[in-house]
Amino acid sequence: MAKPKSTIRNFCIIAHIDHGKSTIADRIIELTGQVSKRDMSAQLLDSMDIERERGITIKLTPVRMFYEALDGVEYEFNLIDTPGHVDFTYEVSRSLAACEGALLIVDATQGVEAQTLANVYLALDNNLEIIPVINKIDLASADIEGAKSEIEDIIGLDASYAPCVSAKEGTNIRDILEAIVKYFPAPEGDTEKPLSALIFDSYYDNYKGVILFVRIKDGSVKVGTKIKTFLSPTVYEVTEVGAFSPRLQPKEILQAGEVGYIAASIKSIEDVAVGDTVTNALNPAPMPLPGYKKVQPVVFCGIFPLDGSKFNDLKDAIGKLKLNDASLTFEPDSSVALGFGFRCGFLGLLHMEIIQERIEREFNMDIITTAPSVSYKVHKTDGEEFFVDNPSHLPPTSDIEYMEEPMVKAEIYIPPDYVGAIMELCQDKRGIFKNMEYVDSKRVRIEYRLPLNEIVYDFFDELKSRTKGYASFDYELVGYERSKLVKMDILLNGEVCDALSIIVHEDRAYPRGRMLCENLKDTIPRQLFEIPVQAAIGGKIIARETVKAVRKDVLAKCYGGDITRKKKLLEKQKEGKKRMRQIGSVEVPSEVFMEILKTNKDK
Amino acid sequence: MPGIYVHIPFCKQKCSYCDFCSFPDKSAYEEAYMACLYKEMSLRKDQLKDYTFDTVYFGGGTPSLIDAKYIYGAVNQIQKCFSLSKNPEITLELNPGTISESKVKTYKLAGVNRFSIGLQTAIDEQLADLNRIHNVRDYVYATTLLKGENFSTDIMLGLKNQTKDDLYKTVELADKCGSSHISMYALTVEDGTPIYTDYLNGELPDSDEVAELYEYGRSLLKERGFDRYEISNFAKKGKESKHNLNYWRRGEYVGFGLSASSYLMGNRITNTFDLDEYMKCILSGFIPAVDSEGVLKKDAMFEKIMLALRTENGLDITEFEREFSVSFTDKYRTALQKNKEYLQVKGSRLSIKEQYLYVQNGILMSFMEENEKK
Repeated sequence: MAKPKSTIRNFCIIAHIDHGKSTIADRIIELTGQVSKRDMSAQLLDSMDIERERGITIKLTPVRMFYEALDGVEYEFNLIDTPGHVDFTYEVSRSLAACEGALLIVDATQGVEAQTLANVYLALDNNLEIIPVINKIDLASADIEGAKSEIEDIIGLDASYAPCVSAKEGTNIRDILEAIVKYFPAPEGDTEKPLSALIFDSYYDNYKGVILFVRIKDGSVKVGTKIKTFLSPTVYEVTEVGAFSPRLQPKEILQAGEVGYIAASIKSIEDVAVGDTVTNALNPAPMPLPGYKKVQPVVFCGIFPLDGSKFNDLKDAIGKLKLNDASLTFEPDSSVALGFGFRCGFLGLLHMEIIQERIEREFNMDIITTAPSVSYKVHKTDGEEFFVDNPSHLPPTSDIEYMEEPMVKAEIYIPPDYVGAIMELCQDKRGIFKNMEYVDSKRVRIEYRLPLNEIVYDFFDELKSRTKGYASFDYELVGYERSKLVKMDILLNGEVCDALSIIVHEDRAYPRGRMLCENLKDTIPRQLFEIPVQAAIGGKIIARETVKAVRKDVLAKCYGGDITRKKKLLEKQKEGKKRMRQIGSVEVPSEVFMEILKTNKDK
Repeated sequence: MPGIYVHIPFCKQKCSYCDFCSFPDKSAYEEAYMACLYKEMSLRKDQLKDYTFDTVYFGGGTPSLIDAKYIYGAVNQIQKCFSLSKNPEITLELNPGTISESKVKTYKLAGVNRFSIGLQTAIDEQLADLNRIHNVRDYVYATTLLKGENFSTDIMLGLKNQTKDDLYKTVELADKCGSSHISMYALTVEDGTPIYTDYLNGELPDSDEVAELYEYGRSLLKERGFDRYEISNFAKKGKESKHNLNYWRRGEYVGFGLSASSYLMGNRITNTFDLDEYMKCILSGFIPAVDSEGVLKKDAMFEKIMLALRTENGLDITEFEREFSVSFTDKYRTALQKNKEYLQVKGSRLSIKEQYLYVQNGILMSFMEENEKK
């Protein structure tokens, strides 16, 4: 048996959004001299525009560094960055499986947050060594001792040796590096055993094909090695292996204990599942490494091209995003109102927003999205059971025995002043109170059982506005529950507009219907005839508004000098009409489809 | 049918809604400007030698502000340079605040046989609001000077605080004072004009209220024997403006003066809006055009429809088919089908039903869309 090098340290960083994870990563990279200070753009790891703008990390980007420690030995560090948002817990668990240690960043001004806890437990589940790091000690409101005692009381970690740093000022960063050397174990494994490498991420490169991000557990791999995975019979010949610097840097060989990438002219990301194990095709390992469970999308929506003729462009765009984001699911969908598009599944609302934004920005496409929905379990009278996430696929009411909806356990952390406001909100959202406790004198943890479909509607916005942004919130799916759900249709001039149908709890239908009709009335431009806007459940109309007929729509004067002007005016209007959709006899602008997401407060 | 338009860009003060090419502070330029105008006519003399013009129209600005001798001179110059038909319609726009007996005498001497008077409203407070230079009494006085003449009165809809009763008073006054023609325009609010602020503050009637006023005004005018022949124009029998009808038939016209437009031999030409530039060009012997475009056949077809559908008589389908060598019903099948509720065909004429004339943009849009198709 040949042990891997004892100078390797594979680790990740866990932190709540905003606690300074990316900045700390940048400082570590800077200090190890991997990237010269001059060449560093802030937050190197967040490479997507959206990530930089929103200040969050979505895709993990690994980086390899060399650090000469105080003991005089040069260590190889592999840092695997993790996304901080609840939607990306899945990605976090993937990177954790590739590491031996995790830095837990805690903001000295805010203490331990709900999100931090969830990921700490994930790390502990993966048997990772955890080093707490207290960040933002430069701020006047920093409470280092408070943060430390929280770490000890809430998480149960010894915080006495925690480095206290300011990533922003670059203070005490070396303490972190020394702690990594000292407390994180070197990887285990056997370089002589058959190759077994965990795929923790992948992306598609136009020239090299799929690039696999791997952690080599046993054995080694180099150019020419014939490889296969456990889930697919196809054999590939390795064309390149290397490390992350953080750009891809080819190496001769990757050996047990190391983190790096493999390219093998793999054509589609579908062929190699993240979580699968790569092994030597000629000398395979007996067993795959324990992978991770396949993620199920929880939030769904329809995405349609604004210009109906751009369906193929949209298909391309979503296909390309899927190459780099295995958690995105999609299938073709069609709507009477919106034509051809896709039904997409997401890990959560933020994931959905980001995908929508990336389609619009990176592919320069205008899209229409339908209201986010969750997956309902339908029990038909004939005993058949299935899941439905698209309201238009719901069978007729008479065929439905009953329906179940997904429920979540929601944990909300808030200052005590907002307890009443949050309880009111959760009641409004059909929540069932479970528990409440004081985390300390400044923070309360409230636990509710809530239907997911209430959360995908306007819960986040309400939460923010009712707590002036002080709430932090996390949720996990806890199964399905029977519920009185109905499908509410919107009729424009007597015709159902399928893209506006929603599944809603019976008790919520009336107010939702009324509000929706009111909002639509103000968004639909007046036309030559009167347009009734109705909300209906089954055949029963529950709300109605009217878009009055337009009465004046003409240029008062049109003489010699006005002809060109008048023509241009009409041409401009015609351009505007390209963004309109025809629903029966009614022309509606694309904004109409967003109305479904709005609440009274938006007005 | 071709017409001549002459632009006089001077006025006493800007009305609060005005975004036309007119200057309240340039009276010193009058003489030089008119000299240039005459010169512009002679510059185009040869180009227009094959035309016989049926109408002349002096618009502004305020053509009645400048010395009446210039109008006389202009008509004279037109007669010298171009050929006019036997009984040409010669119209002059007139502001009641600028009129005198001697001016009227000179206009008549010059051959002006039709006047267009800007009254706008018979409510003095509203006139003041619009920054008009005259009051209701000035209008009455002007009409007495024009007794027996053929004149039109402009009135406006959509003014601040305007009621149906105000409109009634205005229509009644215009009729009683002897108008043979009434133009009833909805106020068009342009960005950059003083009234735009009122609009932004929501102080002007909304489009529904304007439509309500319009329908009311239309019924009043009908009762009094003024028939609508175009969206904003109403006339006693035989008193329609020939000059304006030519625009809506997409006839040819030549415009002289600052900012004037021409449509000749398939080209739309617009003169400069810059007074100094205009005079510099003319004095150097150039036509002061800033914009000239040839009209493509498909655009010409749409223009024809757009303009003709403004009129009560509508579009002569036979004439359209002859002019463009296409089958109208084939070319615009979808538009005709989609709007069949709003359109009517009488003989070979297609028109918008009377109750929908005021909402025609939506209808025109369908024709425009179909026009793009091959």
